[in-house]
Amino acid sequence: MKKVRGHGYVRASLLAVALFGAALSSACGKDKPAAPAETPIAPVPVSQIPGHEQIGEDTALKESPRLVPQEAYMRTYLQLFGGLAPADVQKRIKLGSATLFDTWNDYLSALGLPDYRLDLPRAAQTSSLMLATFERLGVALCDKAVERDLRAGAGAAANRPVFAFDLPSVEPDLAAFTTRFDSLHRTFLGYPAALAGTSRTARFYTLYTNAVAAHAAPGAAKSAFTASEAGWASVCYGLVRHPEFHLY
Amino acid sequence: MTRTDRRTFLKVLGSGMLAATATSMPVFRALAQAPPTGDEFFILIHAAGGWDVTLSLDPRNERKGIVDPASTDNTDTSNLRRWVDVPLDADTQSFALVRPAGSNLVFGPAIGDMGDMADRMTLFNGLAMNTVSHPDGTAFAVSGRHLAGGHPAASSVDAMLANEYGTSQLFPVVSVQYPSSFVGSGLDPRAVPLRVGSIDNIAKSLLRSAQYDTKADRDAVTVMLAEEARELAARSYFPETMNGMALQLGSLRRLLDDSLSSLFSASALAAAQPTLGPKDASGKPRKYQGAAATNAAFAVEAMKRNIVRCVSFTFGGFDTHNGNYKFQAETQQEAFDVLASLVRALDASPHPTKTGARLSDHTHILVVSDFCRTPQINLAGGRDHYPNGSAIVVSPRFKTNMVYGKTDADQLLPDDAGAFTDGVRPVSPPDLLATFVSAFGTDPRKYLRDGEVVKEVLVG
Repeated sequence: MKKVRGHGYVRASLLAVALFGAALSSACGKDKPAAPAETPIAPVPVSQIPGHEQIGEDTALKESPRLVPQEAYMRTYLQLFGGLAPADVQKRIKLGSATLFDTWNDYLSALGLPDYRLDLPRAAQTSSLMLATFERLGVALCDKAVERDLRAGAGAAANRPVFAFDLPSVEPDLAAFTTRFDSLHRTFLGYPAALAGTSRTARFYTLYTNAVAAHAAPGAAKSAFTASEAGWASVCYGLVRHPEFHLY
Repeated sequence: MTRTDRRTFLKVLGSGMLAATATSMPVFRALAQAPPTGDEFFILIHAAGGWDVTLSLDPRNERKGIVDPASTDNTDTSNLRRWVDVPLDADTQSFALVRPAGSNLVFGPAIGDMGDMADRMTLFNGLAMNTVSHPDGTAFAVSGRHLAGGHPAASSVDAMLANEYGTSQLFPVVSVQYPSSFVGSGLDPRAVPLRVGSIDNIAKSLLRSAQYDTKADRDAVTVMLAEEARELAARSYFPETMNGMALQLGSLRRLLDDSLSSLFSASALAAAQPTLGPKDASGKPRKYQGAAATNAAFAVEAMKRNIVRCVSFTFGGFDTHNGNYKFQAETQQEAFDVLASLVRALDASPHPTKTGARLSDHTHILVVSDFCRTPQINLAGGRDHYPNGSAIVVSPRFKTNMVYGKTDADQLLPDDAGAFTDGVRPVSPPDLLATFVSAFGTDPRKYLRDGEVVKEVLVG
């Protein structure tokens, strides 16, 4: 008896729900208003969105910077020289400047590459001699890049491996320098100069202006570079020898 | 009565912990210490391959136990100046022991010119090497620790001494094929051994062209990069690497400031030190140790200029498993001749900072090897690896004309040398290294896990 009455309650409830749903559906269908015209949302910088004033990104290194395997920056040097083979790079550097470079083999040991014939292991830390070798290689690379990229007949700026810009007609102010420096910074260090945590752009601008002034001064040492070229070469030296170029 | 509340207590605790943490960082520690102003110099030599001590430092000229002595059957004696025949078998000759006049030391015929310098030497015989593997024995001999997973577990003695006394030098340590290791975060980054295959390699890296830029241009870049490195270090959670690079950039300016190219040229070194050139004093070309002689010449010249604290290099050619054993004695003779020439060159050179002193009065030489060679001759006519070793110290801080440690007569194995805190036992490489570094006032425990100072070999 109880069981029959229970079934009757369930059946009655389901019926009531079904009728209410049908009535609601019918009412909505009849009185549906026209969709309002969508208002475009104006884009705003992320920092203006409430709660996004600061991006919660932890940029701290999670372990001590390490020396990049020597093969990595050797390959980078070759790439920056225009993607040539090592012997061709050697030939190109020595062309017209016999004392700028010796042979790659002369530097391998000082760069910390292992020598399995002598049982010398790979260097895991930098040393003063390694830094001296970075300077020797970096100077050769940059000097030849200035000659190739910044002189007449260098071709379209965008296609140049290192200096992907033309020299300004007058000495650049900080703003003009920043654009060009940013291009070099991305080439050598792989990210925009504005993101460098240090006062890097200002520091390099000072380096540039000092080098230009030194080379333009009366009685300055004879150089194959103009003052402006010497300035950009100095910037290039600074980037190719930068701690962030060799450590990561 | 003053009452410390919880907030004040936590503040004091926090600042104390911060200070303790900061000062325990290696670079802070390194920078906080006054720059060492040592006048001592160090030359560390590794006899690579494992030398046969029965020919020189722990001589055997009789058949006893398992010992097969060097004889005219297995050794080319034609170029050995100190070989004097002594009958061994019916048709075979061994050698007469070399007993320098007025000395307690006894040598074999391969001792060369060092046989005349017993009064300058301290010998360690019967070193318990506990290994017959080249890499392991090498690491154990120079660092006092066996390899861990194939890697050095401690810094080598040249890096220890460079860290202790050499960080203010232009080159704290120049390591030419020496098995140098720089292990641990507690060392000054400037003491990283400058490991090169040959001295000539360094010269090429120091050359600069004046065609495009000037020294002032390059210096300006170096100064700026040092600033960048310091600024990056200040922002880094791990500042040691960047701070180290800043210090090395500072050294780089000095490195390129001085005109050092002649110091890194073999021909210039041979001209400066004729007895340490590719030819010996009699004009005969060196067959085995020409590169070592150049490295020794570099050590003398660099120390005269006070630009280096340690020079470490190798004597090669001792791994003689087969027929090449015939020349082991000659190879050793040449090595000991170079060592004697080095000591004489140091005698003849003025100390760069101590007026009236000779360089040798403040230069300390340690020669070690991976291990020694078997007392028995193998079927190929050579000798294999054996877990015993000998070492030579030439230092004014050590008692000379003496030998510490011994081997047993029948098997050439390390015998008890004396009483240590863990009982009577043979001397071992950690003991030798602890004694060596302690001779200059360094606490050996700073660098060496094991080893005890053997006071009886030290002067004073």
